[in-house]
This record gives sequence, C-alpha cells and structure tokens, in this order.
Amino acid sequence: MLPKPPSSIAPSTSLGSADLITPVQLYSSGWDQAIRRLPKLSTNSTTHLHATPDCVSVSFQPTRLKTHGFVFTPSAAGASVATPRSAATAARAGGPPSSPQGRSTRTRIKPPSDVIKLQDRLFYMLQPPLESILNSESLSFPCQPFPYQYEGIAFLYPRFAAILADEMGLGKTMQAITAVRLLLRAGEVRSVLLVCPKPLVTNWQREFALWAPEVPLDVISGQQHRRRWQWLETQVPVKVTNYELLVRDRELLENSSLHFDLMVLDEAQRIKNRSSTTSQVVRGIGRSRSWALTGTPIENSVEDLVGIFEFLSPGSLSAEMEPRRMAKKVGDYIIRRTKDKVLDDLPPKLFRDANVDLTPAQQTTYKMAEQQGVIELSELREGITIQHVFELVLRLKQICNFDPKTGESCKLERLAADLDEVAASGKKAIVFSQWVKTLQRLDQSLAHLRPLQYHGKVAMGRRDSVLREFKEDATRHVLLMSYGAGSVGLNLQFCEYVFLFDRWWNPAVEDQAINRAHRIGSAGPVTITRFLAIGTIEERIDEVLQHKRAIFDAVLSHAETGKSLGLTQHEIFGLFNLQQPPPSGSNAA
Amino acid sequence: MLSRQPAMEPTVGFLTVIEKDGAGWLGGYLVLNQRARPVEFHCTAPIKPNRAQEILYGPTLRPFVYGEQIGTTLIQKAKSKPQLIFTDTAPAMSARDLIKTPIGLVGLPTAKQPSEPGDINTSHRLDGAHSTTLSEPHWVYVQLGENEITLQPQHADDQALIVRHWTEMELQLDLSEPFERVHQALAEAYQDA
Repeated sequence: MLPKPPSSIAPSTSLGSADLITPVQLYSSGWDQAIRRLPKLSTNSTTHLHATPDCVSVSFQPTRLKTHGFVFTPSAAGASVATPRSAATAARAGGPPSSPQGRSTRTRIKPPSDVIKLQDRLFYMLQPPLESILNSESLSFPCQPFPYQYEGIAFLYPRFAAILADEMGLGKTMQAITAVRLLLRAGEVRSVLLVCPKPLVTNWQREFALWAPEVPLDVISGQQHRRRWQWLETQVPVKVTNYELLVRDRELLENSSLHFDLMVLDEAQRIKNRSSTTSQVVRGIGRSRSWALTGTPIENSVEDLVGIFEFLSPGSLSAEMEPRRMAKKVGDYIIRRTKDKVLDDLPPKLFRDANVDLTPAQQTTYKMAEQQGVIELSELREGITIQHVFELVLRLKQICNFDPKTGESCKLERLAADLDEVAASGKKAIVFSQWVKTLQRLDQSLAHLRPLQYHGKVAMGRRDSVLREFKEDATRHVLLMSYGAGSVGLNLQFCEYVFLFDRWWNPAVEDQAINRAHRIGSAGPVTITRFLAIGTIEERIDEVLQHKRAIFDAVLSHAETGKSLGLTQHEIFGLFNLQQPPPSGSNAA
Repeated sequence: MLSRQPAMEPTVGFLTVIEKDGAGWLGGYLVLNQRARPVEFHCTAPIKPNRAQEILYGPTLRPFVYGEQIGTTLIQKAKSKPQLIFTDTAPAMSARDLIKTPIGLVGLPTAKQPSEPGDINTSHRLDGAHSTTLSEPHWVYVQLGENEITLQPQHADDQALIVRHWTEMELQLDLSEPFERVHQALAEAYQDA
C-alpha cells in the first residue's frame, strides 16, 4: 500500500482562457477560377495482340527404335538340350567349377581378325566361356588343364589357319586334341586328318585315348590296298598318318577327291622347305581348316615360317618381307607361350657346362686331322663346297667324342662318373648324341648301367617298349637317344638329368631334346650337362650358336633380326678361317 | 552359322542398357538356351534423350527409356519367348510393367542405379506445393543357386514363378556371366556401326 500524501500541503486551483484562433485572409489571384475548373479527361484504347498466353508443347510419343537382330542355328547354339549335369558330376569330371564361384577363370573364344561379318564375329563373342562349354558338354579330363591351355584351345577353335607354337612341354597335343574334340561335338568338323612324324603316331594314339577317349581314331598303316580303303573310309572322324606314308600315298591322294574339314600337322617344321616332296604332298590335300603345331616355327631362318604359311595361307608371306611387317602379318595366326612365362611352378632348368680337355691320344688325332683337313680344303681352292667343310667338322666332332684309334674319350670319363651317381640316387638320365655309332659305343662302355637305346637303328615296333621299360623299370637309369629320333613329341618328364654328349648345329633342336624331360609333370629341377671339348671345333661352334639362341626368341617376339638362325655358309667356312668361294647363298645348316 | 529359325526350347533372356559417352544409350538382349548357348541376340541403335525429356521425366527418365522403350522393344523383337528375363540394371526392370515375363535384377540395386517409377514418393505441403523425392523401395529378394536376384515389389508374385522356372530348367548359370558377353557384343556392334 502507498502512503497517503499529507493533506496540509494540497495546492489551490485557478482557471483562465486564451484565444487560439489565427485569422486567415484570402487574397484573390488569377488562379482562383482555374482551381475551381474540373480537369479535362481523355482516354486511349489499346488492343491485346495475343488472346492466350504462350504455350510450348512437347510430345512424348514412344520413339521407334532401330534394332539389329541375330538368330543362331540350333546346332551351333547347342539345341540338343542335354540335361545339365549336377555339380557333383562336374566335380568328378575334374572340370572347372560350375558354380558362380568358378568365375575367376573365364576363357573367351575370340573371333579371328579375318572374320569380317558382324554376325559371324558375334557368334563367337556370344559363346559361353570355354570352361562352361567343356563343363556343359560333360567332357572329362584326366587332369585340370592350365589356364594357358584353355587359351590355346580358345585360340584354335575358331581359326581356319593357325600355328600353335608353344615351347615344347606345354601340352600342344592336348590343346589340339581338345579343340578337335569341341569342333567334332559342335558338328563344325566331321573329318580330321592328323599328320605327324612316324615315331609319334603311337604317342598321338595314347594322347587321344587320354584326352578324347570317345573320339574314334584310325591310324593309316599296312599294305597299300588297306591304306587305300582307310583313306576313302568316311565313318571314322579322325585319321592319323605320318609324313613318310603321306609321300608314299601321294598318287592316291592326288587322284582322289579327298577333302578334310581339318588338317593338323604335328612338328610342322617338316614342311618348312616349300620345294620338298613332303611339303608339296601336304599342301595338295583338300581341306577347310589348316593347323600347324610346332615348337620351332623358325628353326633355321624365317624361310621356315614362310614354308609353313604356304600350307596355312598360301601366298600371304614371303621371305623378302621386312621382319617387322612379317611379324605383324602373322600375329593373328600364331600363339606361342614359353614355360618361363606361363608355368610359375615348373621346376627350373639347371645348365652345367662340362668343359673337358681331350685326352692326349684324342689331342694328337684331333690336331693331325684338323691340320690335314684344312690343307686339303685349301688345296681345293674354288672347288671347295659346303659339303667339304661339313665333312671336316663332322670328323673333328667325332674325334671329340672318341679317339678312333684308341677309343679314348675325355667326355666318357666324365659322363660315366656322373651316370654312376645318377643311378646310385635312383634317378633317370637321357644321353643325347647326333651319331648312332657314338650311342652304340656308349652302350658298350656303360654296360654296367644296362642303358637302353632309342635311335634310328632301333626298330619302330620296339621303340615304344623301350620307352615303357625305361619309365617303368626301376633298374633302368640311362637312355641313350639320338637327336633325330628323340627330339620331338616324347614325354620323358620323369627324367631329372639330360646329357648332351655332343652338340647339335641348331639351338632349337637342342632345346627340343632338353624339353623331353623338362615339361609339365617334371618332378624336380632338370639338370642339363653340355659336354664341350676345350680348344676344339666344338668350342667355336658353341660361340656362334650362343648368339643364334638369342635370335630365335627375338624373331617370335617381333624384334628386328637377321634371317638365318642356324650356321650360315659364311659362318661354317669361318670355323676354319677359310674364304667362302664366289657363288653366293646363305643355306643354313 | 546363322539362321532365321530359332530353337523352340526353354530359354532365358538377358537384358542390359549401357550409356556410351557422347553416343547415347544402347540396349542389348541375349537369349540363351539351357546350356548357356546363344539363341538370339538383339541390340538397338544408340538413342539420346533430349533436354526436354531429361527435365520433364526427371528421375523417371531412365526407367522410361531403359525399360519401356529399349527393354520392351528388344524383348518383343526376339522370336524366342524366354521363361525368365534378367537384367543387370535396375531401371530396365520397368519393362516388366508392359510384358508378362518375370524380370529379375541380378544382384542388389546399388545407389548408383536410379530407381523406378513405383518408388517415387509424393508428399503434399499445406501451402499446396508438393515435392517429389526418391525413397528406398521395398524390394523383393530371391536366391537362385548362388545368384541373388531382386524383384519389383509390385510384381511380388514373380518370386514363386521365377523359382519354379529356374528349378524346372535345372539351370546352373552364373547369371552375371552372360552380361559380359552382351557388353562385349555391344562394344563390337557399336564399333562396327
């Protein structure tokens, strides 16, 4: 509550007024009338130009799309619907996983560059991965192929001309057989002719039984009337023959209208010489597809490749082509893989050079033969030929192996010691030589090891049993083999030791020999012992060949290179510091 | 090698659409038999939506072009009538609204894949304005072997149908694999065009 003010101090009130009106006087002026007058109004009319507002219409009628369509034939598309096998079956067959987990490996069949039409290219591109095809076709394998082998099969399958040039031991045979098997299944080929060197016929039989057991096979053999019947017979899809027989049946082949959907040449370097009878007969056979298998498409010179291409695609290659252009030209036809690139887990090759000194007796004989030989060659003057030089080289090389007078051999001493060790450790070894006579001498000298022999003097019918015995008999540790008979197509991967008692002219042939043992399935490192007599012709040849070995790979890797890979005439004459006679040429040894 | 007579057998279709920079959108449709062998292949020429379509269709543009235009055209062009159709791109699933065959998306819809018309939520504000947003759809999932398949919610009945056909055909396909083929074929055809 507020306190009341004291009543004794209340103010007194008084009132007063004041006049606040201000007088206004109006003066007249000339504006008065004008102010009273009403304003004059006027109107302007405008017309609207557009009766309605602007409008933009967008039509969304469905667009008519341009389409392209491709329909595939029932056979090519696999119309014969087989009930898909179960995953368990797939697993039993050892095929690639059928579940989506198996997606890590998908090998596509790519159309070759010479397939031009879009629909044909799409036909290949739209096929399932190779692994799926093999799986769905219930194609069993004795073992799981390597990824690079799938690639090789996918390479061959769509091609009408192809070279499978994998290094020896990578399974060219298996890849070719599987591609053939698929083409037969798809109905794309119905007749196949396989030509191989005679010693390899049984090998192909075995491989077919292993990789395509359901494919009927006919090996052409026997008397002429029987062979005639075999050639004309059409029920068996795959015929196997050898080059020698093909030449013998030349007349029959030329006079018949035989045609094969596919012709496969194994060791196709056999037709490298275009003018040879073998090449002519092979090229004369009617065929739709041509495949060549070889680990050495260029054995001596690029001429070899030209020779093989005359079978594959006549006229498309010439020896005069600049190497880079040639490499580009052949690129789509050739597939080549080497072990070091595709097989990480393949045991290594261990090279060991056994440089030995000739025994005194060998030394004496060698010097005498060399001096006498060079004198003889010099006396021939312009009449000297490459054959004369060759004869001297061969004579000297033979002395390096064995002294013809005393039978002494510096190499044998070392070899015998090594082989004793091999046998003692329960291992197996192959000894290569270019001469049967040398191998026979070794057989006598190493009799305590009971070596087996495999060369041109061993009857064809006995060769398979020799190999079987070598493989299966634990007491057989040594196989004496000639380069000619044993350099191609044989699988001796159970051997861990290879001895090159003498050296071949060509590094590619030596590689082939070594790769009999160093291939898929090799249990351990393969030790290669290369014998070389110091201060002899062997040493001089080796120096030249070391350069050649590097060139071999360079050609196939599309590098600039010289033409010849073997020893040229110039190089052979150079071994004895001889002048090459005037007529030019560069035949390779 | 080629014929105009398609095999009348159970088949499976694989539909895809790719966007080529600067060229436009391409559709590819591959029909396989039970053994995964090609029976038919169809593809479209590239098409380019114009600016007006991009603005006015907004987020529904791809479902419209992928599914209703490209997808439906390709499926109808094929002579084979597959029991099942798979796609690897979610917008193409809208073709299912126009055809009777079940269409499944292989895998799960990813954030990058634009959704489809049925997934658009429209909300209204008090002032009369409205906004359109995309929401997470209620996908239907089904497992076919090792493959995870997504189906549209409005075609939930497809779930039973797709499983039945898959089982009857005894398919053992990795459903992502045929799309590799279609993509390669489109690249080849486009290069050729």
